[in-house]
Amino acid sequence: MNQDIESGMRSALRPVAPSDEFSRKLLARVAADPQARPKSYGLMPRSARPLAWWLATSLAACLVLAVGIERHLEQQRLQQSGLEARREVLQALRVTSQKLNLAFEAVKSQSTSLADEKPGL
Amino acid sequence: MRKYTMPMLLALLGPALAWAAPNPKLVMPEFPGLAQKASESVTITLDPTLLSMAGRFLDGNDPQDAATKEIIKGLRGIYVRSYTFDKDTEYAQSDIDAVRSQLSAPGWNRLVETHSRKTRANVDIYIMIDHDQAVGLALIASEPRQFTIVNIIGAIDLDKLHKLEGQFGVPKLDIDESKTPAQEPRKERGSAPPPKS
Repeated sequence: MNQDIESGMRSALRPVAPSDEFSRKLLARVAADPQARPKSYGLMPRSARPLAWWLATSLAACLVLAVGIERHLEQQRLQQSGLEARREVLQALRVTSQKLNLAFEAVKSQSTSLADEKPGL
Repeated sequence: MRKYTMPMLLALLGPALAWAAPNPKLVMPEFPGLAQKASESVTITLDPTLLSMAGRFLDGNDPQDAATKEIIKGLRGIYVRSYTFDKDTEYAQSDIDAVRSQLSAPGWNRLVETHSRKTRANVDIYIMIDHDQAVGLALIASEPRQFTIVNIIGAIDLDKLHKLEGQFGVPKLDIDESKTPAQEPRKERGSAPPPKS
């Protein structure tokens, strides 16, 4: 008797493959309901990924541009300082040269006047 | 104990030796009062960094730049203060004395002292020699309407410095040549042209 019950239950609870209709309906429902879809394990949803990519690319481009502009400005500042230093060197030597000439002129005129006085002695 | 004696001696003598070494850099007063009174003022402070930077911007193919490059090669500093006034005696002798007093320090030697009665210009050139090498130059030029102080620091080659003549539009004086002004009349700078008859 027990064996009959057992075999009856086994036959009633045997694994049965779902019908094709059931699978089709299930897949259709999953496709229609986004909440039923499996969750993405990434930081952002799949739909936001192209936007994120563009944002990252733009940010990187901005960073490269900013560094480039900074370096260009630095180069310009350096060139400006160099040209200013060059102008100052030339001016300093010009002033020195003028004053040296003033001294040499005085020395020369003194030696000339001494030479002029000598024949008369 | 003996092994510590030498380092201790050096530590004690080091600052003294450094102090004793001649310093060709003059303390340049800022002359704030003069700068206000002056119709034109030149304040140039070129330290080694700026000199080397200037050297990089001097064109070796340009004769003036090449000469300048050659002159500043061994220099460590150029300091210039120059004031031009509209009226005579706008500056006090004490302004000059503040700098001149520094030139009585050991190491400085007066190379030239000139006084022109005609232009009323006094030019004093001082040079500092260390181990037979000119390491500093100071120039004080006082004219009725102009007052200039120049301090050049570094290995100054006097021959190169002499080459300054004729550069920058300043006429060459031909000091070492035997020609006298009578043989070759030279036009005075700033003098008026002869009247047309």
